Amino acid sequence: MQKEDIDQISQIDTREEETCCSRNEDVLDDATLVQSNHHELHYCDFHIVYSSTFRVPVLYFRAYCSDGRPLPLDEIEKELPACASKELSKKKWTFITQEEHPYLKRPWYKLHPCGTAEWMKLLFLSDTANPKFEVVLELYLLSWFSVVGQVFGLRFYFKISN
Amino acid sequence: MAKQGSGSILQFAPLQSSVDEGFWHRLSSLKLNKFGIDDSPIPISGFYAPCSHPQVSNHLTLLAESLPSDSNDESTMPPVIRGNRNRCSVPGILYNTNTMEGFHALYKQGLLKAEAMKIWEDIHSGKAVEDCAVLSRVLLISFADLKKWNFHYWFAFPALALDPSATLVDLRPASQWFTLEEAESVSAACNEWRNSSVTADVPFFLVSIDSDSHAAVKHLKDLEACQRDGQKLLFAFYDPCHLPNNPGWPLRNFLALISARWNLKTVRFLCYRENRGFADLNLSLVGEALITVQQGWREQQCVPNAVGWELNKGRKVPRCINLAKSMDPTRLAISAADLNLKLMRWRALPSLNLEILFSLKCLLLGAGTLGCQVARMLMAWGVRKITLLDNGRVAMSNPLRQSLYTLDDCLNGGDFKATAAVRSLQRIFPAVEAEGIVMAIPMPGHPVSSQEEKSVLEDCKQLNDLIDSHDVIFLLTDTRESRWLPTLLCANSNKITITAALGFDSFLVMRHGPGPFNSIPNLKAETENSLAAGMDNLALTNTDGQHRLGCYFCNDVVAPTDSTSNRTLDQQCTVTRPGLAPIASALAVELLVGILHHPNGIFAEAEIANSSSGGNFELPLGILPHQIRGSLPHFQQMTLLGHSSNSCTACCSTVVSEYRKRGMQFILQAINHPTYLEDVTGLTELMRSANSFQLDWDDDIEVADDECVEL
Repeated sequence: MQKEDIDQISQIDTREEETCCSRNEDVLDDATLVQSNHHELHYCDFHIVYSSTFRVPVLYFRAYCSDGRPLPLDEIEKELPACASKELSKKKWTFITQEEHPYLKRPWYKLHPCGTAEWMKLLFLSDTANPKFEVVLELYLLSWFSVVGQVFGLRFYFKISN
Repeated sequence: MAKQGSGSILQFAPLQSSVDEGFWHRLSSLKLNKFGIDDSPIPISGFYAPCSHPQVSNHLTLLAESLPSDSNDESTMPPVIRGNRNRCSVPGILYNTNTMEGFHALYKQGLLKAEAMKIWEDIHSGKAVEDCAVLSRVLLISFADLKKWNFHYWFAFPALALDPSATLVDLRPASQWFTLEEAESVSAACNEWRNSSVTADVPFFLVSIDSDSHAAVKHLKDLEACQRDGQKLLFAFYDPCHLPNNPGWPLRNFLALISARWNLKTVRFLCYRENRGFADLNLSLVGEALITVQQGWREQQCVPNAVGWELNKGRKVPRCINLAKSMDPTRLAISAADLNLKLMRWRALPSLNLEILFSLKCLLLGAGTLGCQVARMLMAWGVRKITLLDNGRVAMSNPLRQSLYTLDDCLNGGDFKATAAVRSLQRIFPAVEAEGIVMAIPMPGHPVSSQEEKSVLEDCKQLNDLIDSHDVIFLLTDTRESRWLPTLLCANSNKITITAALGFDSFLVMRHGPGPFNSIPNLKAETENSLAAGMDNLALTNTDGQHRLGCYFCNDVVAPTDSTSNRTLDQQCTVTRPGLAPIASALAVELLVGILHHPNGIFAEAEIANSSSGGNFELPLGILPHQIRGSLPHFQQMTLLGHSSNSCTACCSTVVSEYRKRGMQFILQAINHPTYLEDVTGLTELMRSANSFQLDWDDDIEVADDECVEL
């Protein structure tokens, strides 16, 4: 119902503004490119935040349209690549909750971190050497990301790690 | 898009706006907490960065940080924003109106001119050369409807129009204009510029290339020095646009600066664009523009025309966005609750039927210790439709044990429990559909005078209608006799009925069996029910012989009578150990959820818990018992099974058919004559014959519920 209201307002504006504009060319001039294609784009932001409760990194995410309207979770899931949504449904530790972003204080989604410590241990089990702390940290984040990234079909480019 | 050949007008791709939802959230907060109806313009900062993707332009973005802080201890200072490589700060201004009419009445042309004037002045004063970020500005007008969370807005990116417009001499990818060596050096120099925190957010700069193909990036203020050296010089800027044939909007004011301040006619420019954080000279463009402005255009007092209002899908209208879903606290609470239950389903209970819980209508008779807890538990399971019935008012001692009430509900004699409970539920979860009914339940053994008869009959009728219009009835009152009429009505209407009753340190939670007149669905073959074959004939068949489960009264030998008179204070007030009510209430709701997930529902057979069942259950929620009796002193509970009794004063076929035949008259008789029910059911006869064996009958049986009496 609200959509109709908005269109109504737009209708009023069109009439107003077009009369306005014919008097003052305040919108377009010959140096302005007028584009005819208006693609609807969806954006997805990912944040990696450390959780002091679980003592692991946590992947926060949210999606929105180009006008800023947030996309709900079921719409996000529809747009995940096929392999990713399979990951989401089968693994027991990948489930998504909605929570307030710890710094931005707005509702974001996150991959719940309760299983992270466990499966990170499995990944690191075989590592017997004692590398420097910076190397360990980078390895940890890379390993962590290589797992959670699968949920969204995110792939990792090694160029960044150099 | 036709490729622009030389001599055609240079056309710029307009900036596109993008508003993060956090911006509206903070604006709402500022409006509500700080500004009120003050609609003075608000200083804001926009952000943009060079294009980083070959198919998508970058936008000019507003975030929460674009607005002044909404915390109370800071004054409304313009936000001091330190940019970084992803955010070049753009100074701006917001005109937020208090009404839709005010929004439309804003003199947009005037506002745009005022912002353009600021840029023109900065160009002439030299400020634009020192701090080139002021070459771009953002103007935003808005109206925030904070009841519906609709935000109407319109952006303008003021651009000084050259008169006449500049013409394009040449435009091509930078990699095709630079030599290989030059390209490498330019990339390196630009990457260095982008990586330094001092220059990363400086969006306009110079690129000079010496005869050795060595490139250097310089600040605008070094222009004279670069010109003296006679090297190749490009005017570079962070270009958010990705298009291959058009430069982005920031170049407009850049050209205005170049013409007004340095009076250059031919300008070679570099539209700097990136890919994955590094300079991308294939995406970046190098072009040459010819500026032939009129005499007098450059004079400071002659402010050029300004353009820049953003189109909305090609139309000259404002935009609107509705953010109720992510900003309305009630909606957020609903979606959080839903997500929580769905999580339970994903993680642990795939067969959980949330839809049935969402649509279930529950009637709670009694809004005391049991009623309050049951209501909360139901909401936790996703039940939204709850009706509470109670005659009483909240007393001073209630809030401690009755979890929906606080001291405020006790004042001035105390609010009605039913209404206070509904209020409380709505405070917990605004989307609950709760109703409160203030009514007394007519009880046998509490005779009514002839004046009261009419209203009592009305109450009976209302109770009957309530029971009919709900799916589940919880009997949570504090006397046995008050449970009689509801039990009868539920048996008559075959409604799922759950009873919870408390002793001092023990409790009973049970589900009533189905009523006596119902077709039993075809259960397992073991029932050996030959009647099940002919379902059509079952409509009026007495199903007492089918071992249906009993109700609360099935095991009683006496009819419910007045248990409240002539009792000591502690018995009247039904004082119990505080832990009992929460335990019993929780079990009552969990039992209900079990019934709802059983394929046979109200007809489900009863199961007994035994230690050998281990962890494997037929049904995901576990067994579905008939009765649960618990004892706190032993920290123990047992599951029991009791079948219906042919002489039950509440649910046997005799009683129910009498009710069906004579309706309210039957009820009235039961209420007014203490022995009527016993006569009707034959209990009187039974007792007489039992008495002849000279056994001792305890007169006060109804007090103790902690012993199973087998008939």
